[in-house]
Amino acid sequence: MRRIGVESVRHILAALSAAILAGPAFAAEPLDGAINMQPAATRIAERVHDFHNVLLVIITAITVLVAGLLAWIIIRYNKKANKVSRKFSHNTTIEVVWTVVPALILVGIAGLSFPNLYYQNVTPNLGQIVATSKQLLADGKSAEHQAFTKNYFPDAAEAGFVNVKIQGNQWNWTYTYADIVDESGLPVEFVSNGLHKGRASDPTDGLRLLSTDYPMVVPADRYIRFYTAAADVIHSWAVPAFSIKVDAIPGRLNEGWFLVKEPGVYYGQCSELCGVDHAYMPIEVRVVPQAQFDAWAELMKAGDFDAAAASVRQIASADAGAKFASN
Amino acid sequence: MAGDVKHDYHLVNPSPWPLLGSLAVTVLAIGSVTYMKGLFGLAEGTWWLMAIGFAMVLWVMFGWWATVIKEGRIGDHTPVVEIGLRYGMILFIASEVMFFVAWFWSFFEFSIFWDARVGHTWDSANALFADGLNRFAQWPPADVTTFDPFHLPLMNTLVLLLSGTTVTWAHHALAHGDMKSAKLGLILTILLGLGFTALQVLEYSHAGFSFDGTLYGSAFFMATGFHGAHVVIGTIFLIVCLIRMYAGNLTPQKHLGFEFAAWYWHFVDVVWLFLFAFVYVAPHLVHGGGH
Amino acid sequence: MPMDEVALDHGHDSHDHKPGFFARWFFSTNHKDIGTLYLIFSLIAGVVGYSLSGLIRWELAEPGIGPMLWIQTTFFGLDGDAAVTAAKHFYNVVITYHGLVMIFFMVMPALIGGFGNWFVPLMIGAPDMAFPRMNNISFWLTVAAFILAILSMTVPGGSAGNGFGGGWTLYPPLSGSTGHPGPSMDLLILSLHTAGIASILGAINFIVTILNMRAPGMTLHKMPLFAWGMLITAVLLLLALPVLAGALTMLLTDRNFGSQFFVPAGGGDPVMFQHLFWFFGHPEVYIMILPAFGIISHIVSTFSKKPIFGYLGMAYAMVSIGVIGFVVWAHHMYTVGMNVDLKAYFVAATMVIAVPTGIKIFSWIATMWGGSIDFKLPMLWAIGFIFLFTVGGVTGVVLANAGVDHALHDTYYVVAHFHYVLSLGAVFGLFAGWYYWFEKMFGIKYNSFLGGLHFWLMFIGSNVLFFPQHFLGLQGMPRRYIDYADGFSTWHYWSSIGYAITLAATLVFFISLAVAFIQRRKATESGNPWGEGATTLEWTLPSPPPFHQYNELPVVNTKGGH
Ligand code: HEM
Ligand SMILES: [Cu+2]
Ligand SMILES: [Cu+2]
Repeated sequence: MRRIGVESVRHILAALSAAILAGPAFAAEPLDGAINMQPAATRIAERVHDFHNVLLVIITAITVLVAGLLAWIIIRYNKKANKVSRKFSHNTTIEVVWTVVPALILVGIAGLSFPNLYYQNVTPNLGQIVATSKQLLADGKSAEHQAFTKNYFPDAAEAGFVNVKIQGNQWNWTYTYADIVDESGLPVEFVSNGLHKGRASDPTDGLRLLSTDYPMVVPADRYIRFYTAAADVIHSWAVPAFSIKVDAIPGRLNEGWFLVKEPGVYYGQCSELCGVDHAYMPIEVRVVPQAQFDAWAELMKAGDFDAAAASVRQIASADAGAKFASN
Repeated sequence: MAGDVKHDYHLVNPSPWPLLGSLAVTVLAIGSVTYMKGLFGLAEGTWWLMAIGFAMVLWVMFGWWATVIKEGRIGDHTPVVEIGLRYGMILFIASEVMFFVAWFWSFFEFSIFWDARVGHTWDSANALFADGLNRFAQWPPADVTTFDPFHLPLMNTLVLLLSGTTVTWAHHALAHGDMKSAKLGLILTILLGLGFTALQVLEYSHAGFSFDGTLYGSAFFMATGFHGAHVVIGTIFLIVCLIRMYAGNLTPQKHLGFEFAAWYWHFVDVVWLFLFAFVYVAPHLVHGGGH
Repeated sequence: MPMDEVALDHGHDSHDHKPGFFARWFFSTNHKDIGTLYLIFSLIAGVVGYSLSGLIRWELAEPGIGPMLWIQTTFFGLDGDAAVTAAKHFYNVVITYHGLVMIFFMVMPALIGGFGNWFVPLMIGAPDMAFPRMNNISFWLTVAAFILAILSMTVPGGSAGNGFGGGWTLYPPLSGSTGHPGPSMDLLILSLHTAGIASILGAINFIVTILNMRAPGMTLHKMPLFAWGMLITAVLLLLALPVLAGALTMLLTDRNFGSQFFVPAGGGDPVMFQHLFWFFGHPEVYIMILPAFGIISHIVSTFSKKPIFGYLGMAYAMVSIGVIGFVVWAHHMYTVGMNVDLKAYFVAATMVIAVPTGIKIFSWIATMWGGSIDFKLPMLWAIGFIFLFTVGGVTGVVLANAGVDHALHDTYYVVAHFHYVLSLGAVFGLFAGWYYWFEKMFGIKYNSFLGGLHFWLMFIGSNVLFFPQHFLGLQGMPRRYIDYADGFSTWHYWSSIGYAITLAATLVFFISLAVAFIQRRKATESGNPWGEGATTLEWTLPSPPPFHQYNELPVVNTKGGH
């Protein structure tokens, strides 16, 4: 048995503070005792968090309302407090109210929900983004431009997509970088295995159940477009800090996108039951500055996977020297 | 029943059939898995356990429904009970309709939305699926030649439609006490039913695709095959009614069994019309005869 | 309120011709006996399902693979990596059968087969079900299905061991020849076919009974809400199960006869299965809750000594939940790569369901409002139900939003959601009904102290068990994992503590059951222990009711009503 008590209280406090001060992007792994989502690393996730925070307020209010009414009933209408029951069984006004008000709340929720859904679900048209941005600047609409660049990233758009195909296998992931081809014209492709398989022989380093041998590596501040696929059964590629989860279905390609501003290491796990080692095919995404990414890509093209992996063990920061990854 | 019962509902006596039926189903299920996969040391392909289970199921059906017929004849089926039985049959048919919904749904999904599946979202870079683009990026899939709906299928449609009218004729005759026409109508219906099955077998034997290993074949044969199975069941149902008619078992006043057989037959008929329209004709008109 | 004025004369019940023991319990055609059989059956299945969940919580109490490995080494003589692999597969088998057993063999048989059989005829003034013999095969087929399911746990599933380990949702290709080639999955398919047939026959029986056998004067709009709930449940069963049957048949032929419905390399589509499955699956979740809605309505009204508030609104809220329940299925599939407009549709449709659900909650509260409430045991469970179901309902609204669901799908947040509506919703409804009708069914009184203890332990335990799972899900803890990253430890630990508390509750429940049957305290003479608030017909009968009730049909006063 593990110690509880003081320890757990400490956890809860840590979680609360973590929830309140959304930490730096480097903490994109599950945090013990946390009670909310992992810190957002993408604009998609930020928007999900904002929306979820609104929902959380609404559902808490509803739950508190119901609990409060029940409490009041228990106090006021128990048989000691109220000897004789009243006999009413209708009140059209109140019935209309509790039909219409919830309906309006739901309409309000839907109003927030749809833009959010379309934002994350529709892969952005980069050309359009560049053009819109230029147009706004040309028209001198700097306020609009600022609002626009909250959700869209003209500089990154200018650089185009980084395309990655992600294939789920029983039980690891294959990453294919279609745009990065070696001399013989073959794209960079590698299999990413979890370091830990729940066996006695597992290595002791790395984050248990999260770290991989060859992580997925992508440049920071670039539009990443990915396609998920599968070879055998259904898997699901998911990274909580990105608020992304896309099923990998054999025979199909499912499309998704993300853009991470902050270099860092982000962990996810397979999210569709795929058999024995479902819990042991983690996803490790190392988001590195473009220069470091290019260096990694060169090593990969040369076929030196280990050197490539080593080259991203430390993540260079665009501004300061070298930050250390969380492991 | 106790003498002081003052209602017309049917309080059925305890009966062994449900327990036996459940036993039969258990044996059938285990037998089927033994046949398909091998189980408990019995090799795959061992069929006798399944056969025993199936025989038991038939035995229970026979015994059970014989009891029902007997109860009907001794007056347990009062008017209110008859209404209940009617509701019951209608609901049963409703559930059958939903069963066919599943087959139509998958057929439509495959035939209408193939380009959503095998369009640009097809994982053609994977060797496992690479030839999918050649084969499935069209409907019907490559190397499938579909039936010309206006040959055998059209004939079958006419056969079934005709059988729908003969069964109605038999029903009217029965209701008016014209037993001779009733029997004739029923015999004709049964013959037409058998004819349909025969034609369907003939059609299957000329299929330009197989069940096993092809998508089109799966969707086509399961949808039409389940319909065929229902035709066979309906035909048996009608034959039972014919036997009962000869036994003087069905009267102009009381012939629920016949009514249900007729309903069932119409249901089978309607399912066929949908199959004919959407599995045979519409794809043919849209895509032509295949590749 | 439909039932407040009941003119009744229940003739002579002295001529209670009961068949001999074997005929009575094995060849039964009596709705009350069959109801009792169902209750006993679901108690047994419940113990199995609950033990399986015990294995889950035991394993997840701490990170790493522990108990499952111990089981493999101790009972199956495996060691090394072979034991680890077997343990992982075993865990998947455990979660799969936990879900299936709880849904198909615990909740459904108890609420529908047990209480439905017992109380639909009693409440609507019918002497029995419409088709008493068919009623019995529904029961025995459920038993057969259960035996097949348990059997399927013990025969080869895939390369990693016995049993099917692909989750209760049975998604191919994992459930196809690729994932689980062994006979286990085939047995499971046939088990579910059998359970499905049983339920379809039961559904037909309930619909016909309710439509055709209501007492003179009882129009549909005067019918007790439990009967309404059962009617809608039965319609959902009737229309949803055959679609599952189709999907299962496709799976079976894919596995054994070379069809390609869900085989990607053959052009088939695994997602097609998910559509068919959830077209059944979403109505199925309402199948499990609508009878409980009915039970709660009666209890709330009885103990508040007030007629149900907004009776018609309550009935039609259930009708609309049933109808809308058929057009929201793909909210379980937001991540499969559906077209975004389609997702938007399913978001909207799903949120619509929250409106009638809200109507139910608020109407129960309004029923209590102004009442003179007696907090007897069934009422405690009912109030517990209302609160916990609300918590489950509001997280449903969160999940309905596809944008958020992309983050939460297949995490413990979903696990928390559906356990709040099921383990704490349907199951609380079940226990509420159990204590409400205990004395009516068995003719003896339960022990209130032990019952109260059962309630409080269960209330606290299941909240400690499931509430932290929201946090886990938000942090990204995926479901169906035997092992987890260390960052998920604390809340998993608490969750397992919660299980231990519910275990104590369950022990108390069985003790209280034993005590009640040992003490055999006589039921209230009048047949109505709850007093003026209990207005439905079953309370006009002695406890237990005669073997055949209503030899002379009760007449419901047509002047009553609203
Ligand atoms: C306010 C009403 C409700 C809404 C809006 C709602 C919504 C949802 C959604 C969107 C999901 C899918 C989550 C996911 O997999 O990502 C879900 C899952 C689920 N819900 Fe609900 N729900 C509601 C009420 C209920 C009720 C009443 C029940 C049962 C009594 C129920 C049982 C379930 C179950 C069992 C699952 C998970 C199935 C699985 O994946 O294994 N829900 N719900
Ligand atoms: Cu997985
Ligand atoms: Cu649902």
